[in-house]
Amino acid sequence: MNHEAALRIQAWIDGELPSPAAREVAAWVERDPDAAALATELRHARSALREGEPEYSAPVSREFYWSAIERRIASPRTAQPQAPAAPPFAWLVRWFVPAGILAALALVLALPGLRDQFAPPVTWASEEVESPLDDISSVTFRSESEGITVVWVNAR
Amino acid sequence: MSGRPSKPQRKRIEYPSAADEDLVRAAQGGDMVAFEELVGRHRDKIYARAFSMMRNEDEAIDLSQEAWVKGWQRLQQFQGEASFVTWMTRVVINLCLDALRKQKRLRTESIEHMDSESGGVERQMPPLIINPTEGLERQEVRQRIDQAMSQLSYAHRTVLILHEFEGLEYKEVAKRMGCSIGTIMSRLFYARRRLAALLMDLKQERPT
Repeated sequence: MNHEAALRIQAWIDGELPSPAAREVAAWVERDPDAAALATELRHARSALREGEPEYSAPVSREFYWSAIERRIASPRTAQPQAPAAPPFAWLVRWFVPAGILAALALVLALPGLRDQFAPPVTWASEEVESPLDDISSVTFRSESEGITVVWVNAR
Repeated sequence: MSGRPSKPQRKRIEYPSAADEDLVRAAQGGDMVAFEELVGRHRDKIYARAFSMMRNEDEAIDLSQEAWVKGWQRLQQFQGEASFVTWMTRVVINLCLDALRKQKRLRTESIEHMDSESGGVERQMPPLIINPTEGLERQEVRQRIDQAMSQLSYAHRTVLILHEFEGLEYKEVAKRMGCSIGTIMSRLFYARRRLAALLMDLKQERPT
């Protein structure tokens, strides 16, 4: 008997074969003594395991066992909910985000004066100011006629 | 994900007589005494599963305690689809599998482990049609199974524990052990044949 055939007998005993295949194997085991012998051995091993699962008891007292669990739960490392690890240089980003916004605003406010010096006057303008940070961008709209500046700061 | 329960349980319960479900609800509300009661009730079962996989008392104590810590931290995830002890058993099995992988005990790098898939002497062995545990008291069967299991490789023992003791289907065992279903079928086959041979040796050494 080849290995695949033996595994089919095992799958049949374990109830892992679909009905048509299971009927086929059952018929084969019925007529083939070698297949029947293997099926018997596998069944014996299976039933011995299912009936005789060993039982073990923790070899320490309930109090001792619990005290170690309680200590681990109470330790700061495990007591807190597991937060995702902070990315490297997170502190730098934390400081650069407001600084980047302020720099963008300052640039926006300085734009009219610069434009007055180097460019002909316009009645309205739309400017986009790129933030130096990858995850922060800002878009500015300036209307000279209405004398307003609107800045959108987008934090992705 | 919320890590550990935080709100205290207001309803008073009688811990020793309370049902598991009530204790779990209380523990989910932050009641550590309720959780301690659950640990006291089920510690032997969780320890037993760890010991059956690791075959080492110290490792089994450490991993089973770690399982309880994880259980506390993830208690909010327990929705009651299975019983609490079944849920905890899964937690400890996963920890043991991780530990065995880290220690490379499940890797097929030795001749013994290569035999897990290809069969060693079991490949040539004729089938044993005598029942090796027939006529034995249950306690004696347990002792012999324990003795035989201790002589199996980690790969063989693990597949038997997951399939026979935990009742997992082939595909579930394969998923847990990170193998193909074909590998699991082969391992299970040779593990059973090896176990049958070991039980037969014990029967011949100590006939009933």
